[in-house]
Amino acid sequence: MTNNTVNEVERMRVTRVFDAPRELVWKAWTDSKYVMQWWGPKGFTAPVCKMDVRVGGKSLCCMKTPDGQEFWNAIEYHEIVLHEKIVSLMYFSDSQGNKIEPAELGIEHEAIEGAYDVTLFEDLGDGRTKLTHIGNEPMESAKNSGQLEGWNQILDKIADVVAELAQAK
Amino acid sequence: MIERLSHGPASVHGLTEPFALSQQMISKHIACLVRARIVIKTKRGRESVCTLRPEAIKTVSDWAISYRRFWEESFDKLEVVVNELKKQEMKKQQIKKEEVRDDK
Repeated sequence: MTNNTVNEVERMRVTRVFDAPRELVWKAWTDSKYVMQWWGPKGFTAPVCKMDVRVGGKSLCCMKTPDGQEFWNAIEYHEIVLHEKIVSLMYFSDSQGNKIEPAELGIEHEAIEGAYDVTLFEDLGDGRTKLTHIGNEPMESAKNSGQLEGWNQILDKIADVVAELAQAK
Repeated sequence: MIERLSHGPASVHGLTEPFALSQQMISKHIACLVRARIVIKTKRGRESVCTLRPEAIKTVSDWAISYRRFWEESFDKLEVVVNELKKQEMKKQQIKKEEVRDDK
């Protein structure tokens, strides 16, 4: 099919439609005060978020697992179109923002060489906003066979249990 | 299935019962869980018995930061934040309107 062209890998893409204008979604995405409220998976907290969303800037966010482990991520910005688009590069880091290989943290992450994370804010025209995040990771590694499916089911269950535990405290 | 196993070991037959799936499908699912080192399968007579591996739960935090999961669940939370922001904005506008009215 493709001989002399570079094979375009299907990338991880997460989309969500928000019932709010684009400026608001942008604010929630870029203002430290709000990022701290949503950064990280279910059950995680974000004790530190220092956002510096401008070309050449670097944001630093910490997420804390339910069992108290902390993971830091740094984000570098390469292109910003206000209320529309952010081209960035996110990586695991130490608390100072120095890059750490995911494997060192025991995290499997297959990154696409030379690719960036792209976040798009699309005005749907009816007061709603479509947010798309295209990650620097191939889709295949995310949906690798039935094993992931199994894991997801387990994780959903366990996440519920953890949530219950947290509530019971 | 994991929930069922969290109550204690169970036979493959016992694990099949609550699901509307064939034993073959269940066996396949169990094989996945065994490969993923979440479940241990042992033979007891003619029956295979499955047990949840306790360490499996510890790997959850590692897995929870798979990128896809990270973003999907962050988006869930972002939605709550955006809705809250929207409410605040509307309130602010309401107050502004009232102020204008009061000035008149």
